[in-house]
Amino acid sequence: MLYLGNALAALKNLLLREKENQVPFSDLFVWFQNILKKNNAAMELIADMGGKMGGEFIFDRKYLSDSVKKLQELVRSSAYDLNYITDNQYLELYGVIEDLAKKLEIELSGKMVIHGAKRIYALNEIEDGMEDLVGFKTYNLSRILNLSGVNIPDSFAVTVGGFRDYMAYNNLFEKIEGSIEECRNGQRSVESVSNSIQLMILGGEIPPELRRQILAAAERISQGKPGSCYFAIRSSGVGEDGDLSFAGLHDSFLNVQFDELLSNYKKVLASLYNQAGLEYRLRMNILSLEMAMPVLYQKMIDSRVAGVLFTLDPNRPDRPESLLSGTWGSGKVVVEGDEGVETFRISRSPPYPVVEQQTNSTPHMPGSLHTGPSEKGSDEPNAGPCLTSKEVPPIMDVGLILERYFKRPLDVEWSIDEGGQLWILQARQLHIPRQKRMEYTELKGATEGHRVLFKDRGMIAYRGIGAGPVWVVDNDHDLTHFPRGGVLVSHYAPPSLAKVIPRASAIITDVGAVTGHMATVAREFRVPTIVGTDVATRLLAANQEVTVDTERNIVYEGLIQELIRHQLLDGPSFEMTREFQLLRRLLKKIAPLSLTDPDDPGFAPKGCQTFHDVMRFVHEKAFRALVQAGKDSRSFLRRGGKRLRSRLPLDLVLIDIGGGLAEGTDKDIYVDPDQITSLPMKAIWKGLSSPDSWNTEPIPVDLKGLMSSLTRTQSAEVMGNTLPSVNLAVLGSNYVNLSLPLGYHFTAVDAAIGSSPENNNISFRFVGGVTDITRRSRRAALLATILEKAGFKVKMNGDLVIARAINLSEELMMEQLYLIGKLIGFARQLDVLLKNDEDVGYYFQKFREQAEKPVERYEGGKNGEDDSLYSG
Amino acid sequence: MKEEKMEKTTVCILDDEAIVGDRLKPELEDDGYEVEVFTDSASALARVNETCFDIFITDLKMEGVDGMGFLERVKEKCPESEVIVITGYATMETARESLIKGAYDFIAKPFRIGEIKAAVKKAKKKARRRRQA
Repeated sequence: MLYLGNALAALKNLLLREKENQVPFSDLFVWFQNILKKNNAAMELIADMGGKMGGEFIFDRKYLSDSVKKLQELVRSSAYDLNYITDNQYLELYGVIEDLAKKLEIELSGKMVIHGAKRIYALNEIEDGMEDLVGFKTYNLSRILNLSGVNIPDSFAVTVGGFRDYMAYNNLFEKIEGSIEECRNGQRSVESVSNSIQLMILGGEIPPELRRQILAAAERISQGKPGSCYFAIRSSGVGEDGDLSFAGLHDSFLNVQFDELLSNYKKVLASLYNQAGLEYRLRMNILSLEMAMPVLYQKMIDSRVAGVLFTLDPNRPDRPESLLSGTWGSGKVVVEGDEGVETFRISRSPPYPVVEQQTNSTPHMPGSLHTGPSEKGSDEPNAGPCLTSKEVPPIMDVGLILERYFKRPLDVEWSIDEGGQLWILQARQLHIPRQKRMEYTELKGATEGHRVLFKDRGMIAYRGIGAGPVWVVDNDHDLTHFPRGGVLVSHYAPPSLAKVIPRASAIITDVGAVTGHMATVAREFRVPTIVGTDVATRLLAANQEVTVDTERNIVYEGLIQELIRHQLLDGPSFEMTREFQLLRRLLKKIAPLSLTDPDDPGFAPKGCQTFHDVMRFVHEKAFRALVQAGKDSRSFLRRGGKRLRSRLPLDLVLIDIGGGLAEGTDKDIYVDPDQITSLPMKAIWKGLSSPDSWNTEPIPVDLKGLMSSLTRTQSAEVMGNTLPSVNLAVLGSNYVNLSLPLGYHFTAVDAAIGSSPENNNISFRFVGGVTDITRRSRRAALLATILEKAGFKVKMNGDLVIARAINLSEELMMEQLYLIGKLIGFARQLDVLLKNDEDVGYYFQKFREQAEKPVERYEGGKNGEDDSLYSG
Repeated sequence: MKEEKMEKTTVCILDDEAIVGDRLKPELEDDGYEVEVFTDSASALARVNETCFDIFITDLKMEGVDGMGFLERVKEKCPESEVIVITGYATMETARESLIKGAYDFIAKPFRIGEIKAAVKKAKKKARRRRQA
């Protein structure tokens, strides 16, 4: 009996404790609001840091470390809040946050972590800030990999770590240091020391693991045909091609066969200590431990013609001309300066007319190149010019794209294969003698006589100078035909512009935010950008040539070569500063959002790759904890929820977490739409309740649609697996989270809107439907098109549509939400209507007509419903 | 018309974070100023003993003599120069203190390049007026 009594007492204690651990519903509001506030503060910080990427601001290390510190505090304490209200359901988050924090701190400390890092990187695996790991030659190529229209041969890099492994495995560090010491104190000549060190390196053995990795990487590139695949093995020394002083001191080998890949690796390493290299290092007093040699392995292109492009003439950088040299075969002749080379002086303006042509000239390039036994065709004389007039413009196009990206005059090695495909083998800064630079960079008076079209309009999203013909983008057709080097002019700044940004020389929009999606992409591709000018589409005419100076925020008529040159030849650009590069690296670990779909299995603590992800996760789970506290409408109403009076067939429960409903509504269980004070909810409701949006007449379901609807059950995937099946809106004065499990659809909108654009964001999610997946996917495609047009960043997967908009002004955000309100009503029965693909176009047009009626646009006024229609 | 060759306005930038001078110098030079950059207050003060710049731009928090001390010394030695204070620790208190000590303007870091250029331009006008008077 006593035993039973104890057991009961223990059970009672357990239950009581469980109850104690549950946060009371009313407190949940407070906690949830706190989480929202922290979320907003974090978003504001992230946007602020992103805005600093545009070059407009001067910021220092302290700004970076302070921002990271503040962000860490916000993220940590949000995770704490979430765990508090969920009874520690997400303890895993702490570890994830500390891992991210540690990575950021390592970046801030400036230490490079080589231990544990991989020894081999494919080009597309190379991240920002890895220049010291893979060398500048490889790093530059990896940076331009994503530029549109630039083809780079398959390549991989053996890192500094690989070099150190090799040296350590063969005990070379000490031996080399000893030899160099003998050289320093004059015991031995540079030549003899250089020879003996190179012999030591050549006599070493590649560590077995490194051997295996190099061969495996080469095998991947040769795609199972190692016999017919040749490689170029190039030195990619630290400092090389980034800082010109090292350029060309080291060796590269062309046409290397598969069975010589390893021996040539040693040869490239040995060239680190060739006489010229050793002399240079002794003079600069660079210690041997700081010397390192990453190596680039590049698949050889079977080239018909190859050569070098200097985007400017190093001796006459004032001329708007480039120098292009080409020869038959692999191009070794061009770089070695043999005969048979054709050199063209070409105008830098499309269509790039040839100004002058010479043959047998010898553009120099320092350093030595070795070609293997398999060099094909190089001895066979070829009659006629090696380059046709059709082949010149693509080379110039790519050269100028690269030059715009690096903001420097470049020396580009290119090759055209038998199929006519253009390849970029190397791109490095072109050395222009200091004196020439000084001579030709005088800025004074450069802009005199050029009409200012407008100035000091809008905000600078990226600093720089770009020039070209204006191309006004209004629709997909304009986007598809966007010309290389054009100045992109658009009313809005939708993320859909992203695909042409790499081709643009400058971007100007009427509307937009420096922290928006489009501006982020513009910064990624370093395109000078002004957003929010108000006047661009009005004042700029199609095809008009303009120069956009976003350093001084002026748009000039005509092409001002002096300004463009000034940018190319002037001292290092802001992108090269340590602080800027550090910010870039920090942001990579902070800003991208990969957790967008709360019902995806990856939406978990371990899926968080950035602080933004963590904040998104915390927000979503906190929201769910809040709404899970109620099971059905009644349970929400019991806890202070309100029913919205409306003629719409929508039993919507409103929960006010503060400032979402007008005062004096707390007694009544019903509220009217005009009692909603939540800014974002007002806009959604206005769209949702506008006369055309909500078609209440039953839509005829055809047989196929009906059969499908009969067999379809409401799966967890449709309903959102953990949300109650109540139409629910959680309201704050500047916040709404609306979830509508309407029949077979599930719609969710989460939005925060206020006067500060940095805090403004909308996320929209729509999934499910009554019919088969084909029709539901059609509807998803339609929604995606409408949302993209409206400036949302959209992701689609089957019948799931996720859209996001960030950082627009309050007014624009309200318009977006109004549109979403309309869309929710419109989309409800769409899948049934979309019988074939053509219907998508028809209904898209129909929705646009509806949404664009002048009276229909959101005007921030009263709600759309007529009071007399409320059914109560 | 009278042709007079104007002497360049001189600017001294003092900030222990090199990036500030590195980025500001070319910007101001493009606008026609003659610029010298220092990253420690001792060498900047040594230079002040040799010459008075027209305009000083100084950070507040630094090793050794801090920005407030530097401001005082500059105002003592070169009363006609204008001083613009830039700081990442902007509070009302520090702003008031530096203005009382004779700073011409107070700008919080990070700042827009246009913002500091405008401040320098205004300071230049004021310095010139003062010299003419």
